Amino acid sequence: MVKPKAFVKKEKCLACGGCISVCPQDALLMVSSKAVVNKEHCNSCSICVKTCPIGAIAWEGT
Amino acid sequence: MKYDAVIVGSGPAGSVTARFAAEAGAKVLIVERRAEVGVPVLCGEGISEKVDSFKVLEGKRWIATKMKGARIFSPNGTHVTLSAEYAGNETGYVVYRDIFDQELARGAVQKGAEIMLNTCAVNLLKKDGKIKGIIAQHFDETIEIESDIVVGADGVESRIGKWAGIQTTLKPHDLETCVQYTLSNIDWDSPFCDFFLGSKVAPGGYVWVFPKGKDVANVGIGILASLSESGKAVQLLDKFIANRPELKKGEPLRVITGADPVAEPIQSVKDHLLLVGDAARQVDPITGGGLMHAIEAGKYAGETIGAAVEKQIFDAQTLMEYEHRWKNAFGKKLHRSYVTKEILLEMEDKTLDMLADSLKDYKFEEFSTLSIIKALVTKHPSLLVKLTPLMKLARA
Repeated sequence: MVKPKAFVKKEKCLACGGCISVCPQDALLMVSSKAVVNKEHCNSCSICVKTCPIGAIAWEGT
Repeated sequence: MKYDAVIVGSGPAGSVTARFAAEAGAKVLIVERRAEVGVPVLCGEGISEKVDSFKVLEGKRWIATKMKGARIFSPNGTHVTLSAEYAGNETGYVVYRDIFDQELARGAVQKGAEIMLNTCAVNLLKKDGKIKGIIAQHFDETIEIESDIVVGADGVESRIGKWAGIQTTLKPHDLETCVQYTLSNIDWDSPFCDFFLGSKVAPGGYVWVFPKGKDVANVGIGILASLSESGKAVQLLDKFIANRPELKKGEPLRVITGADPVAEPIQSVKDHLLLVGDAARQVDPITGGGLMHAIEAGKYAGETIGAAVEKQIFDAQTLMEYEHRWKNAFGKKLHRSYVTKEILLEMEDKTLDMLADSLKDYKFEEFSTLSIIKALVTKHPSLLVKLTPLMKLARA
């Protein structure tokens, strides 16, 4: 089974960049003041999901 | 158009670097991806009064309040007080970071720096393996900006360092993940900045209440990312506020998130490149404070750039002057705080309560974390085993 990828709920993200700073795959970037996951690089490690202080990062399909 | 230095990021590190570089005669451009300098604010907004000695801010518009001191609350509510009264009246300010950042940028412009907003660096511009500037996105246009030196003042999520081959990814153990409300209509009648510790309050971090004038305060939390779960920081902050009658009827004027590196500093110089501020992890790992370091390092970076431009030599050896100066100024302090952070993280709540109880009547003569460490060692010779390496660092 393919693991789900992280995705950023744009309406919730407040652009602190914490997720970008801890992503070991360099799979997150800031686009127009919102963090965005590059799905091809995401390895579903969950670090960004746990790091987000306001729960703005979830798993795709949830 | 070619510049001597292009600076990525218009926060305090970037603006102060630009100011001193421009003052030394360099042609400087600041690029900022946002549409307004200083907005959104990503900060608890506390800074030491030492900022005055750098003379980079005019007027008082950026000051919300002058602190009377700080109080640190252990898990059971015992508090240790660092009072201005005993600390030579030197404590700190709570600031309006948006105005603060704009004043610093204005100062840079007065010295000759240029600013380009809505401009996001997307890569380094390289020729024959050498850094020659940056590639940036300006609305729908991709532009090349040539410069002899690139400064990464691009904050906790720094890309500039990464593109230059510096390992910038933080371990979750070295990041505080933060959220803060600016609350109005509260009964927090205290001129002190308050810090609340405890594994249930803020695992691996603290809750802060920084007064911002009559009935308004910044109330925020930072927890260690390695102890965090999705949305845990805001849940704990909401719980803290709900449990305090003085705060719970407060209404938010603003909510912001933040990410604070509490890591060991990293390499800050390469050929044609400098990292300054949070990008270089110039943050005290105990307090999470980085503003003062960003400003001090920015001065050294700007002066180093000025000297390099005069000599027209931009290799790492020439630019190392910058790293030597900031490491001499506060590198040891950051390392000492990192070691202390590791010790604090091991302590149980009851140990923090015991230590706070032993210092509750102590008159600190200096407004610093070092003065607390010194007092702890004096009061608890048994702690010496753990704290001895710290004292060696303190003396070094």
